[in-house]
Amino acid sequence: MSDSKQNVKVHVDKVNKSYGSNHVLRDISLDVNANEVVVMIGPSGSGKSTFLRMLNQLETQDTGTIVVDGFDVTDKKTDINKVRENIGMVFQNFNLFNNYTVIENITLAPTQLGKMDKAAAEKRAKELLNTVGLADKANVSVNSLSGGQKQRVAIARALAMNPDIMLFDEPTSALDPEMVGDVLDVMKNLAKSGMTMIIVTHEMGFAKQVADRVVFFESGKIQESGAPEQIFNAPKNARLQEFLSKVMQA
Amino acid sequence: MALPLAGGLLPSAQADSKPNYVITTDATYPPFDFQDKNNQYVGIDQDILKEIAKREGFTYTLKAMSFNAATQSVSSSQADGVIAGMSITDERKAVFDFSDPYYRSGIAWAVRQGSNIKSLDDLRGKTVALKTGTSGADYALSIKDKYGFKVTYFNDSETLYRDVINGNSDATFGDLPVLQYSIKNGTKLKVMNPKDPFNAGEYGFAVKKGANAKLLAAFNRGLASIKKDGTYNKIVNKYLDASASTFTGDQSNNDTTWGILKANKQAFIDGLMQTIALTVIGIFLASIWGIILGVMGISQSKLIRGISTTIIYIFRGLPMLVLAFFIYIGLPSFIGAKIPAFIAGIITLVLNEGAYTGAFVRGGFEAVDRGQMEAARSLGMPYNMSMRKVIMPQGIRIMVPSFVNQFIITLKDTSILSAIGILELTQTGTLIVARNSQGFRVWAIIAVIYLIVITLLTWLSNWVDKRINS
Repeated sequence: MSDSKQNVKVHVDKVNKSYGSNHVLRDISLDVNANEVVVMIGPSGSGKSTFLRMLNQLETQDTGTIVVDGFDVTDKKTDINKVRENIGMVFQNFNLFNNYTVIENITLAPTQLGKMDKAAAEKRAKELLNTVGLADKANVSVNSLSGGQKQRVAIARALAMNPDIMLFDEPTSALDPEMVGDVLDVMKNLAKSGMTMIIVTHEMGFAKQVADRVVFFESGKIQESGAPEQIFNAPKNARLQEFLSKVMQA
Repeated sequence: MALPLAGGLLPSAQADSKPNYVITTDATYPPFDFQDKNNQYVGIDQDILKEIAKREGFTYTLKAMSFNAATQSVSSSQADGVIAGMSITDERKAVFDFSDPYYRSGIAWAVRQGSNIKSLDDLRGKTVALKTGTSGADYALSIKDKYGFKVTYFNDSETLYRDVINGNSDATFGDLPVLQYSIKNGTKLKVMNPKDPFNAGEYGFAVKKGANAKLLAAFNRGLASIKKDGTYNKIVNKYLDASASTFTGDQSNNDTTWGILKANKQAFIDGLMQTIALTVIGIFLASIWGIILGVMGISQSKLIRGISTTIIYIFRGLPMLVLAFFIYIGLPSFIGAKIPAFIAGIITLVLNEGAYTGAFVRGGFEAVDRGQMEAARSLGMPYNMSMRKVIMPQGIRIMVPSFVNQFIITLKDTSILSAIGILELTQTGTLIVARNSQGFRVWAIIAVIYLIVITLLTWLSNWVDKRINS
């Protein structure tokens, strides 16, 4: 499968998920190509975060197939840890390891998983901290950082594993407004560098500017997807129109 | 390894060629069994046993515990024989083989001096204090309904006498010579039937029915021998004619806290060491077991989680005393092997304290934010690595105060193990009070020793806490 579709990084086919009687994902299918930036928008509870977390199997599907980097992650025989090494994830609440310093947060996984020795990992960590503008914070406790700083460290931590794909789950939702810009700047640079990115966000301006494709989730379904100009300027789906009129007002 | 610890200051002469037996007694039973001012086990029973052992060429390790535990240790094969002023009754003959009788006794009843109770009829509606498992208790129960009194139970004689003297209960039933000896030594009770004891009966040395026939035969031969040459009479007279101070020490040793402390210095130190040994080994092993249970409790496998939950449920639910009796007295007859008291005590502590530790360890791990695990897993770190490197270090910080608390509880809980005859601080106190009747002073000393050790333990724990959570 991966041979014939070299360009497809993520292939999702008819995924369903229910929590009890609540059918949160209904027959979702989606392909994401290499170097593509896909932004998922939609009201709270529409299933977009659940869908994102399913790509690296933090959530499991009831039915359907998900192929990432040529590996069927829905197959129990697949070593999910190996696949995850290539999928970076950034969380709404940062989830930095509280028991480590900034640089230890970044070097922990590469050194523990035998990707790099300590010296190489620290060198790489410093480069990444430099990229996200936090070179001076290497040895401080993560608890002393602001939210925006924490999220930039979290991005550096994910990048330290040299992933092919980055997942962002509402990365700016927990931030004070003045912190949002720094984090979005880091993400824009990452997009420019050619990283394949799948982003759940409420930042419509950012979506317009960075996305190659925007996907609108509502009631567990992809209601509409397309280029940002099409989604924001000429929405066809009635629910998308309603959603946009609400968020643009705000 | 455990015996020297558990034995403490018990006589335990060891010789390769001679058989060695474990004999239990109840050392709160003067003049038959008690500790003298030098903390040696003495009394009519003990002197007879010692003399017979010498003549018959066997050695023994003596274990002092409550009367009930002493007899049950033999019936469960934890010990070979019991000598504890034990009346020969038909009921007991079903479980034990008795030696030839070595002392004639009977049941007497006593009230506090100055009491207006004159006859058994006056006991209607009153409370009678009894010692668990004794023939005095059996007799009282047999007439309980006829005279309409209530009963309350005690495990050692001294506390029982105190209860009657203080007026919490109104009378007691016990063996005549024991009551008389105690009264002679200052216990403010009055025997109501000194001339005509009920159920006049006899004391015997006992082994488990069908077991230790050699030991029983040796005891009988030795008994005949000491009766024949007058040694027996000498021993009995030595105790029944002597004044109290011969055995219990001078007034000055017992009347002041300082005197008690000085006279029993070695006993207190030995008891404290035993308490500390139980506490340290108990805390160490219970913490390991608790952490294992806690880690199992957050396992990905439902089965392993279930096992952990069940173990915690069972051992947190069982009273520690029940657990101690079950392991020390119940288990050996089931598995057919002896379990030394110290080992049984440690197992009890580990199972009980380990269950509590397991519960808060699991809680501590669960208290770590879910996102920490998700972040670690999203980087490709396997579950076990994520636990070890991310979740556990944070969970343990959360748990430190609970650990400190549990250490202190463990120290206090070691006192419960006095019930299976481990001569730790509390049992040491029981034996000293049985001899000198200075309950207030002795228990105050014991309480202060516990507080000092707990204070030191708290300081140590806080120091560790600071180092971990700095």
